[in-house]
Amino acid sequence: MKKLLIVTLLLFSSISLFAQDVLVEAESFDNPGGWLVDPQFVEQMGSPYLNAHGMGKPVKNASTKVNFNKSGSYHIWVRTMNWVPGEWEAPGKFQLKVNEAVLDTVLGTRSGWGWQYAGETKINKKNETHIELVDLTGFNGRCDAIYFSTKKTTPPSSPKKLAAWRQELAAEPNAPEELKTYDLVVVGGGLAGCAAAIAGAEQGLKVALIHDRPVLGGNASEEIRVHTEGIYGNFERILKKIDTKHYPNGSAESKLDQQKRDENVKSYDNIDLFLNWRAYDAISEENSVKYVDARQTFTGERKRFTAPYFVDSTGDGWIGFWAGAEFSYGRESVDTYGEYWEEHGELWSPKEADNAVMGSSVLWGSKDTDSPQSFPEVPWAMPVSKDYAEVNGEWQWEFSRNDLSQIDDAEEIRDHMLRAIYGSFSNAKKDEVNKNRKLEWVSYLVGKRESRRLVGDHIFTFNDAKEGREFPDGVVIEKRAVDVHYQTVLEDEKNPDFISEALFYRGPQYYIPYRSLYSKNISNLFMAGRNFSCSHAGLGGPRVMLTTGQMGAAVGYAASLCKKYEVMPREIYTGYLQEYLDLIEEQKYEKIPTSKK
Amino acid sequence: MRRLALGILLLLTHLCEAQFGSAVSFPNSSEKTVLDKSPEFFVLSWKQGTILNRSETPMEIVVDSVGAQKVNIFQDNSDAPVLYSSNIITPVCADGDCRLMHITLYWTLLGDYAGFDRSSEEPLTKHDHDEFLFSDYWKLHELLKDHNSILKRRAIDELVTKPKPSTIEGVDALSGATIKEVKESVVSGALYSCYVAWHLVHGDIKDQIKAFTVAQQTEGMLVRMLNNENINYQMYALENLTKNQYDTNFSRISKLFKSGIPLVRSFIIKNLAESFSKEPNKMQPFWDALPYIDINTRSLLLQHIDTASEATVTSISGQLSVLTKNQIRDFLSHLENKSQISSEILKNLRNFAGSNKEKNSYLVVQFLEDNS
Ligand SMILES: Cc1cc2nc3c(=O)[nH]c(=O)nc-3n(C[C@H](O)[C@H](O)[C@H](O)COP(=O)(O)OP(=O)(O)OC[C@H]3O[C@@H](n4cnc5c(N)ncnc54)[C@H](O)[C@@H]3O)c2cc1C
Repeated sequence: MKKLLIVTLLLFSSISLFAQDVLVEAESFDNPGGWLVDPQFVEQMGSPYLNAHGMGKPVKNASTKVNFNKSGSYHIWVRTMNWVPGEWEAPGKFQLKVNEAVLDTVLGTRSGWGWQYAGETKINKKNETHIELVDLTGFNGRCDAIYFSTKKTTPPSSPKKLAAWRQELAAEPNAPEELKTYDLVVVGGGLAGCAAAIAGAEQGLKVALIHDRPVLGGNASEEIRVHTEGIYGNFERILKKIDTKHYPNGSAESKLDQQKRDENVKSYDNIDLFLNWRAYDAISEENSVKYVDARQTFTGERKRFTAPYFVDSTGDGWIGFWAGAEFSYGRESVDTYGEYWEEHGELWSPKEADNAVMGSSVLWGSKDTDSPQSFPEVPWAMPVSKDYAEVNGEWQWEFSRNDLSQIDDAEEIRDHMLRAIYGSFSNAKKDEVNKNRKLEWVSYLVGKRESRRLVGDHIFTFNDAKEGREFPDGVVIEKRAVDVHYQTVLEDEKNPDFISEALFYRGPQYYIPYRSLYSKNISNLFMAGRNFSCSHAGLGGPRVMLTTGQMGAAVGYAASLCKKYEVMPREIYTGYLQEYLDLIEEQKYEKIPTSKK
Repeated sequence: MRRLALGILLLLTHLCEAQFGSAVSFPNSSEKTVLDKSPEFFVLSWKQGTILNRSETPMEIVVDSVGAQKVNIFQDNSDAPVLYSSNIITPVCADGDCRLMHITLYWTLLGDYAGFDRSSEEPLTKHDHDEFLFSDYWKLHELLKDHNSILKRRAIDELVTKPKPSTIEGVDALSGATIKEVKESVVSGALYSCYVAWHLVHGDIKDQIKAFTVAQQTEGMLVRMLNNENINYQMYALENLTKNQYDTNFSRISKLFKSGIPLVRSFIIKNLAESFSKEPNKMQPFWDALPYIDINTRSLLLQHIDTASEATVTSISGQLSVLTKNQIRDFLSHLENKSQISSEILKNLRNFAGSNKEKNSYLVVQFLEDNS
């Protein structure tokens, strides 16, 4: 079955009677070797891809086998990109090996995602054809797909045409064939998504949790290694199943928390966990989500999920975006919600709105060893790192710029951080004291703080936090100080552009109302996590992960009441608030959940 | 515990009085009623020949167990306010060991830290009673300049021992690195002095000083602020000048747009461009600055492209290498909406598209393909 999906064979009779085409998706290779499947930027560049994330050491070859229907001479293109074009050797170079021969062309050298011609080869249909990707640098070479054709016509590069071309080649119908039905579909398995799934499941809902990574936790996962901050509020029992003990950010101990989290979520029989599944569309009718479509990130297999209620905990508000939910991005003007804070003026809240948001980070670390360790020269990283030297990265390693969207330009942002990291480490290595230092871990996943915020019935603002405003439906409670970040380069252009600073506001305990946790205009959509309904400055407090976890648990319980009365999220506030609050109170003391069956 | 500390303090003050006599006085700069040279550690610029005279203000800083200490204002020979100052004597206590710290602090007209003078007879000391070296004073100066210092959000006892993760709050988080941040920012062996000094400088007095200035604000004062190198002065002036005053001060504003920090530039383009963009000759200095300004400001400037003259648009088409990918995209979509693209612009686009050094040339290639 997998083989079938990996390789798509098609006879393009309309183009040429005898042309034969084969598209091999790199993420579906039988053995990725040392390459990693990178599905973070599918919406922008069209597909998950293989990434040679070797931190400066070439990674092991990725390999796969392909059966051809027809023998002959084939032209080969590889969809790739040079992620730092410039006056230096491309950092992510690799070659293609077909059977025993390594093709001469060095790949990963074209700027912008597109097809690079790799050469021509003879194929014998009687034998399985063996393909390998040979990494040359260990510096994030990328391969999306390999295309074999007996005709020398370059496949399209423009994203729209490419999608249509891919679809034609794969002969995929519009809708996925398999339909799965649940009481609640949760998309995004960060702390918020996990908590929503658990709370819903404990109340007897049949829950699907769709998550594009192999492990749960989002930024808290061992893949990104941010530790959970904030308080447990009303949901200590649930949040302790998924939080972290590890400390500080970047700690390798996050692995232990990972195990606990994954096991706990998996222990619920009525949670169907779809790991490595990425939602790619949500279809709504009459302002209500009908389906979420998702794709397996390795095999390309697709499923359609339907349910009366959905939770968007993707961080980027994808489900809301596809379904047509109102959303916002960037900073509101100071007058929009009166979020003025004299001490920090424009840095805190601007007189005029703009596109600035808190940035994204890539965490990393190195360790001292007992023997000298080499690190390659990285000229392509220097324009970013300049003479900054460092051996570990913390939360301040953060990048945003108003012309870059934290969603659409996330790959560029991640790559900018990689340049900052490799360049700074390379600078540090020039110091004798770091002779034995080895780059131990660099995440390839970009940890985000702020992007789309879906609009709910209440927009939570800085003032709600500052005044500790109480709401009749204040289901989330937080004490942690509010902090909003800015890039230090705004104040001093000599600073590196990838370092941020935090502005703190120490206020009272504050509350987030339930009305900020469901969409204003999409009737059956909840949101939990950093994409909940808030202003830019309002996100400053609640974006930390125990707070977002509280949001998740709160919507999980709300969804169970929605199902009980067959009503929409808003009606829990207008008609069943007391029962909802009682339910939240009651669950605190539930020792063994009755619904954990 | 608090009580005990207070007791020790009172005792100490008593002892001090016994030792020094009741009027604890500053021997040098402190008693100055005239400033004819810049404070030793100073953030503002000081023009040679400046002479400032001291007057009193009703403001004072109350220091535990020592009492109220006056805040004075220094004015220039035309009576324009320039600087606030206070001679501070305050106890600094660590582990039951208390000493008096003498320091003269200065604030800007907006209540920001402006600098300090040390007392030559009562130098600052460290834990083991060593006197501050010049480099220590310099470090203290660096610390006081940071209005967002980590000292602001921590109680003193949180700074000395490493807090447990679950009970603390942090920037995304407090971590080992933050402790490092404290170490790096304070004078080694003088955490308490640094802490006390920072909180004196950035305490309640800040707002009082600003309010005092605001109450006496004049147009002349705003113009002086606009022309000053201090960024907070520039921002304050930009926020408070009237539209007419923008026009009168246009030349300084357009200069600041090119030479100011990104925050100042973006403020100008976001808030003032409206009044300039209708007159192309007024906007011109802004467009001329395009290659020299930071990326964020450039994006904001490009939002005004629809009001730019044809000559400006043509000129930008010849400077595509300074633009980012998304800025080029925005520029091209502006061209796409025009009924006609001049041959000169087309020539510039073709040049750019044909260059193999430009990483974003592919965008222009696509544009030319779609629009030819
Ligand atoms: C470097 C850094 C330091 C920070 N420090 C702290 C800290 O110390 N403590 C703290 O609590 N917070 C910290 N934060 C903030 C916090 O991590 C984020 O704000 C928080 O993780 C947001 O939570 P979330 O659940 O909304 O998103 P995430 O944690 O990002 O989870 C969303 C998940 O959804 C998945 N997903 C997205 N789209 C799809 C899709 N279409 N289909 C399937 N799955 C999808 C993503 O892979 C992701 O794993 C930090 C953030 C960063 C980047």
